[in-house]
Amino acid sequence: MVRLVDLPEYEREHLLSKNMPPLGPTPWVDLDRPLSERKIALITTAGLHFRDDEGFEFADASYRVIPGDLEGDELVMSHSSVNFDRTGFQDDINVVFPIDRFRELAAEGLVGGLATQHFSFMGAGLQPAMYEASVRKLAGLLIKDAVDTVFLTPV
Amino acid sequence: MSAIAYFLESEGLQTTGISLVRENTEALRPPRFLWTTFPLGRPMGTPGDAPFQRRVILAALDLLNRKSGPVLEDYPEDAPTVEIEDHPACPVSFARPSADVSTWDARLRNELLQMKPWYDLSRHRRGRTTVGVAKVPIDELAPRLAKLVDQGSLEGLDFKPLKYALEDLKAYYREALTAQPGTYDFAEIERTLWDETELGRAMRALDDLFAADPRLAQARRIIASRAARND
Repeated sequence: MVRLVDLPEYEREHLLSKNMPPLGPTPWVDLDRPLSERKIALITTAGLHFRDDEGFEFADASYRVIPGDLEGDELVMSHSSVNFDRTGFQDDINVVFPIDRFRELAAEGLVGGLATQHFSFMGAGLQPAMYEASVRKLAGLLIKDAVDTVFLTPV
Repeated sequence: MSAIAYFLESEGLQTTGISLVRENTEALRPPRFLWTTFPLGRPMGTPGDAPFQRRVILAALDLLNRKSGPVLEDYPEDAPTVEIEDHPACPVSFARPSADVSTWDARLRNELLQMKPWYDLSRHRRGRTTVGVAKVPIDELAPRLAKLVDQGSLEGLDFKPLKYALEDLKAYYREALTAQPGTYDFAEIERTLWDETELGRAMRALDDLFAADPRLAQARRIIASRAARND
């Protein structure tokens, strides 16, 4: 469990050292649109990519593209941190990147649709502001794909 | 994760998602996140539990209906606990074979041979593998690690191939160690990997080499987890 009180002191101190001040006033988009009319993209910071893709560097703010029609079993992970469990990912891609759950929601009509592409970052070793350029560029691509909503999963 | 939400939302996209460390999310004040108590590495809680994963997703999506923020809501359920009647028996006999075991290179090669049937079983059972980051066969990866620990120095270190080699070697071992049917305790798998295998011992030796060079202190995080170092 990631309740800090349940963790060893060295782990608690490390995680608290990751607290960063806000990047600015919290931005807020208010979409008066039901889920059934939304197009959703998934973004993970788990350092996922295809086996043939270039792996993530030690510190890396770039992203990898995950096509919407992927077979989840094709993905591997080159995250630089070793401080999280990887056996869950070995057993089920959805515990990190819940693509099958979102496909089910789309098939049921609970969400309007899924993006043509999803995206993977590797969240380790960089200050938050280092992601600005690549994320802002990515936002333009998502909007071109008519995506209006992004579901984010850490690792 | 919070920074990505911040930049996407400021570009006009609505965001929601999962927070695993509440304090970190609270500090950065992104628009919307659902905090869960799940272990690091498992933001959807439990592998193979589709109904649970779906409930988590729907709770995070529900935050999109809030009219003001930032929103950081606590998810009420813990990840389902798995009943482990016994720790799974380690599928590998670590009795040392009679071949040459005088070097890390020889010991790792021997151990990989013992792991292979269990890794193959894992691939068969799971229908997939997460090995493959380094894009070279696994038996060519162990020598990258062995060379450094056998020479007792980081001379000739090629960092990026080493990072990918360690990722693949650990994935190969974890898949082999979890190949048995049934449930397992992932913390116990990590303990076995680090304390009972030659790979674990070699990686600890490598970690010591990195620790001895202040310029490489940050890079230690590709080798040993804080838990492994504090055992």
